[in-house]
Amino acid sequence: MTIAPAPSTARSLRRRILDRGGRDQAVPDRAVLVLHDVTKRYPNGKIALRDIDLVIPEGDFVFLVGPSGAGKSTLIKLLIRDEIATRGDVVLDGQDLARLPRRQVPRMRRKIGIIFQDFKLLPTKTVWENVAFALEVTGYPRRQIRPAVDQVLAIVGLSAQAKQTPNQLSGGEQQRTAIARALVHDPRLIIADEPTGNLDPLISWEILQLLLRINELGVTVLMATHNAEVVTALRKRVVALEEGRIIRDEVGGAYHRED
Amino acid sequence: MISFLFFSIRRAWQGFWRNALMSMAATATMVLMLLLLAGFFIIQAGLLAGLQFTEQKVEVVAYLESTATDAQVASLQAKIEAMPEVDTVTYITRDVALQRFREQMKAQGREDLTQALDSNPLYASLEVKLVDPSAIRVVGDALRGEQVVRNVINIEALVDRVLTVTNVLRTAGTVLLLVVGIIALFIIVNTIRLAVVARAEEIEIMRLVGASDAFIRWPFVFEGAFVGFLGAAITLAVLAAAAEPLNAFMVDFFRVLPLQMGSMTRDIVTLVVGTGVGLGILGSWLSVRTYLIR
Repeated sequence: MTIAPAPSTARSLRRRILDRGGRDQAVPDRAVLVLHDVTKRYPNGKIALRDIDLVIPEGDFVFLVGPSGAGKSTLIKLLIRDEIATRGDVVLDGQDLARLPRRQVPRMRRKIGIIFQDFKLLPTKTVWENVAFALEVTGYPRRQIRPAVDQVLAIVGLSAQAKQTPNQLSGGEQQRTAIARALVHDPRLIIADEPTGNLDPLISWEILQLLLRINELGVTVLMATHNAEVVTALRKRVVALEEGRIIRDEVGGAYHRED
Repeated sequence: MISFLFFSIRRAWQGFWRNALMSMAATATMVLMLLLLAGFFIIQAGLLAGLQFTEQKVEVVAYLESTATDAQVASLQAKIEAMPEVDTVTYITRDVALQRFREQMKAQGREDLTQALDSNPLYASLEVKLVDPSAIRVVGDALRGEQVVRNVINIEALVDRVLTVTNVLRTAGTVLLLVVGIIALFIIVNTIRLAVVARAEEIEIMRLVGASDAFIRWPFVFEGAFVGFLGAAITLAVLAAAAEPLNAFMVDFFRVLPLQMGSMTRDIVTLVVGTGVGLGILGSWLSVRTYLIR
C-alpha cells in the first residue's frame, strides 16, 4: 500500500495561470492520446467501435459528436480503462492501457479529469469537500489539500459557494464544481461527457467558456456533445462517430458535415 | 502506512455518521442477530449441561454377597476403580444401606418397619459412577464376573434409551445453533451490503478520480468492523442487563445444573464480539469487492 507522491498541482496550475498566453500552441509533437486501429466488441457480440485511429496532441480541444449509440460512451470507457479494447492500442500519455497492470489503473486515472452530464457530486458533502474528496481518496497529503482545492475553486469561480452543498447550487454551479474536482489532480486530459446536456443554453455557454479557459491553461479537452450550436460556433476540431466508425475528423469543423 | 490507517479510520467514522440511518439500521440488525445467536448459545449450553447432569446420574449398582470379607470388597473396589471407564466407586456398607432406607421411609412419611426386624436384611453394595455412561455394559459385565458380587441391577437397556435421547437432543441443539448462525451470517452480510450499495455512487466517484482499491476498500472494512463492534457492545449490554433475572430463572428451572457461569460469560463475549466484528468485516469486504473487480 503506497501513497502516491503528490503531484505538484498547486505549483503547476499557478505557473500555467502566470504563463498563459505564452503557450497558445502547446508542444505540438507530444500526443496525449493515441488510438490505433481500435475495435471494441462487447461480450454480447455487439461491435461498438471499429478501426478507430485518433491522435490528440497536447493542448488540443476536440469535440466528439455523433448520434446516440455511435460509440462515444464506449470510446470514453476505453480511455478511462473501464473497458479494454478488443483489438488495437489505446495509448494515454505514453501508456498502453491494455498492457497497464490493474494496480496501475488508479494512478493513470489521476491523469484524466472526467465530467459527466449528471455531475456525480456527493450530496452530503459541500462544494469544497466534493473537490477535496478527489485528493483525499488518492492519498494526497492533508496539509496540501486546502491550497489545492482553494485554487481550483478560484479557477472555476466558486470560492464564494465553497461551503454550500450541491442541492443549494444551480446546475451550472454544480457542473463547475465537477470541473473543479476534475482539475484538482492537475490532469493532462479533461474528458467531458455531455457536460451541457442538463443545462440551459446560457449556462451551457458559461461551462464552455470555462472549458476553453482551462484548455488555454494547457489542459487537453475532449468533449462529447450533442450541442450542435456550440460545436458549430466554436470551430474547433470535430471528430464525428457513426456506427462505431470515425466518419469525419476536421479542424475548424461544424457539428454537421458542411460539404 | 500510518497516515493511510488514520485516513481509513477517519473516513470510516465519517461514513458511519454521514449515513446515520443506514448505519443505525445495520447496527440494529446486527444487535438482533447477535441476541438471537447468543440466546441460542445460552439455551444450547443449558441443554448440554442438563444432558450431562442426566448422564451423570447413570451409575452401576452391584450388590455384594453378605459373606464377602472387607479385604475382598477392598480389592474389588480397587480393581473396579482402576478401570478407565470408571469415575468413582462408593462402598455402601449394610449399615449405611439400612440407614438410607430408614431415611427414605421417614421422608415418605411411612412407618419404619425395619425396627421390627432383628437383623439387617439389606445387602452392601458398590455404587460405580462412570466417566462415560455408554461404558455401562463393560463395567456391568466386569462386576458380574466377580465372586463376591451377588447381582448387578440391569439398567443397560434403559441407559441405552436415555443415551439415544440425549444424543439426539445434543445433535439437534448443535444443528439449530448452526442454522441460527448461518441465518445471522446471511442477514448481517446482506444488511451491510445494502449500506454499501447505498453508497455505490461514492465508490464510483472514488474510482473515477483514481482512488486505489485499498483506499476504497479499507474505510468500508473499518466501518463494517465498527458497526460489528457497536452491535456487539449493545448486545452484551442487553445480555448483561438480562443476566440477573435470566440466571435466577435458569437456576430455578434446571435446579442445580453444573453450569459454569464464568467460562460461559467468556464464551458469550468471544462469540458476540467475534461474530459481530467478523461479519461486519466480511460483509463490507464482499460488498466492496463487487465494485472493485472489473
